[in-house]
Amino acid sequence: MPELEVRNLTKRYGRTVAVDDLSFAVEAGRVTGFLGPNGSGKTTTMRALLGLLRPTRGEALVEGAPPVAMRDPLRTIGAALEATAFHPGRSGRNHLRTLAAAAGIPDSRVEEVLEMVELTDAAGRRVKGYSLGMRQRLALAAALLGEPRILILDEPANGLDPAGMRWLRDLLRDQAAGGRTVLISSHLLSEVAQIAEELVVIRKGKLVAQASLAEFTAGGGGQVRVRAADLSGLGEALAEAAGSVARDGDALLVSGIESARIGEIALRRGIAIHELAPQQQSLEERFFELMGEEEDGA
Amino acid sequence: MTLLRSEWLKLWTTRTTWVMLGIALLGEALFAGLYTGLASLAEIEGPAGEPEGLETVATGVGLMLVMMLVLGVLIATTEFRYGTASSTFLATPKRWPALLAKLGIALAVGLVAGLVYVVVNGGLAVSLFAERGGDVPAAADLIEIYAGVVASYAVLAAFGLGVGAIVRNQVGAIIAAIAFFFVLSPLPELLPGSIGDYFPAQAIGSLHGNPEGDESLGQVTGGLVLGAWAAALVALGTLLVCRRDLSE
Repeated sequence: MPELEVRNLTKRYGRTVAVDDLSFAVEAGRVTGFLGPNGSGKTTTMRALLGLLRPTRGEALVEGAPPVAMRDPLRTIGAALEATAFHPGRSGRNHLRTLAAAAGIPDSRVEEVLEMVELTDAAGRRVKGYSLGMRQRLALAAALLGEPRILILDEPANGLDPAGMRWLRDLLRDQAAGGRTVLISSHLLSEVAQIAEELVVIRKGKLVAQASLAEFTAGGGGQVRVRAADLSGLGEALAEAAGSVARDGDALLVSGIESARIGEIALRRGIAIHELAPQQQSLEERFFELMGEEEDGA
Repeated sequence: MTLLRSEWLKLWTTRTTWVMLGIALLGEALFAGLYTGLASLAEIEGPAGEPEGLETVATGVGLMLVMMLVLGVLIATTEFRYGTASSTFLATPKRWPALLAKLGIALAVGLVAGLVYVVVNGGLAVSLFAERGGDVPAAADLIEIYAGVVASYAVLAAFGLGVGAIVRNQVGAIIAAIAFFFVLSPLPELLPGSIGDYFPAQAIGSLHGNPEGDESLGQVTGGLVLGAWAAALVALGTLLVCRRDLSE
């Protein structure tokens, strides 16, 4: 049984369809990235998984049951939805204490999570004066409060500096390695690529792809970039060898021939190679490719 | 119990609550003190044989009533205004227990504010009044008035909570609660018959023991009628909160 699952989830707001017949499952033990452009329905899906809104059709399940039925909610699922959802006049520590009190969690745990997100020094100050990064940490602390089995974080990397990103990645990977389920959303590929191992990609409320990060970037067409002393000579030779060759500035983009063969062909012709680089398709290219495919299909 | 503690913390960890109660208390003390200290005794006591003598001793109630109404609205709406409702309902996915806890807190604050009022009014206004040789009502009558005041504070906080849960928008709910209670609900009194007595403005008059109309429901019935209004609003608000999406 997957820890988190949406089945044929549809959510309409009047005429707008925010999520359209979406189905996917999230397993424990790894960080899953939930990727899509702004307005693609990520937040709506997450809110449905948290029981904060009712699906128009379909269902959102936590450990196989609707979220409203959760017995011990904060120990089951911890969520950070947006970094702005704090009372500006309340201190970070008191914010956490009100949540801890509701779940019967002792105040000592509040101090623990403050320590974990490195917010102890600022905890007595009112949230009004917090930076975006500090609010992100406070939201994360709230999510971790009940030592939940599942973490759902909406754009957690927003507002973090590079050091904060690394810290977040380490923290989330630790959580996943401990057997927990982690789902993080982002509209930025570069962020997700740094943190997640599994990807769920949606667009306009529909599923575009679900795959591991490795699967996602593989299958880039096997292009090789070559620079050489005699480009046109090498190009002819490669074309003869049944490769498809395209000129790219002072280099050639070759497909259909692997890099070792290209080197051999060049050696036979006596052409000095300056650069020989197999191209891995970047996540970014793959993403836009998928988005483009979807556009054509629609 | 855990939810009550959570809501109690929420209330007292923001400055708004302290400032509001402080203003209400100060205003009340000033008003009661100045009025009983400076107005003519005849005016305070009112015509002989009329209940106004009692009413005017329990003076300065109005400001605190508005504050209680607003405080009730705030208890319900602040979480929607700042988006903390999502966190709250993550901890209580069924939602209604959190609202029940909020109701408990609203009633408790109303009671505490009422008791504070009694101390201020009894300690300041009545003693000033007696000092000046005024005709202080019998202890039993005073207790009756004060009981009505304390109860009305608690019920008005609940009333505000109900309106807040229904409207959700903070400013809108404050306006709606005050407009309904102080502007709309006195209007049916103009209708023939006693129907107006069953609207909040008249019911609270009965509860305070100073109905403005000729016929009064009596203190207990007035209190029950007012309580029923508050209960109905809270029930409707809770139902709506449980059904509505939280999408921001």
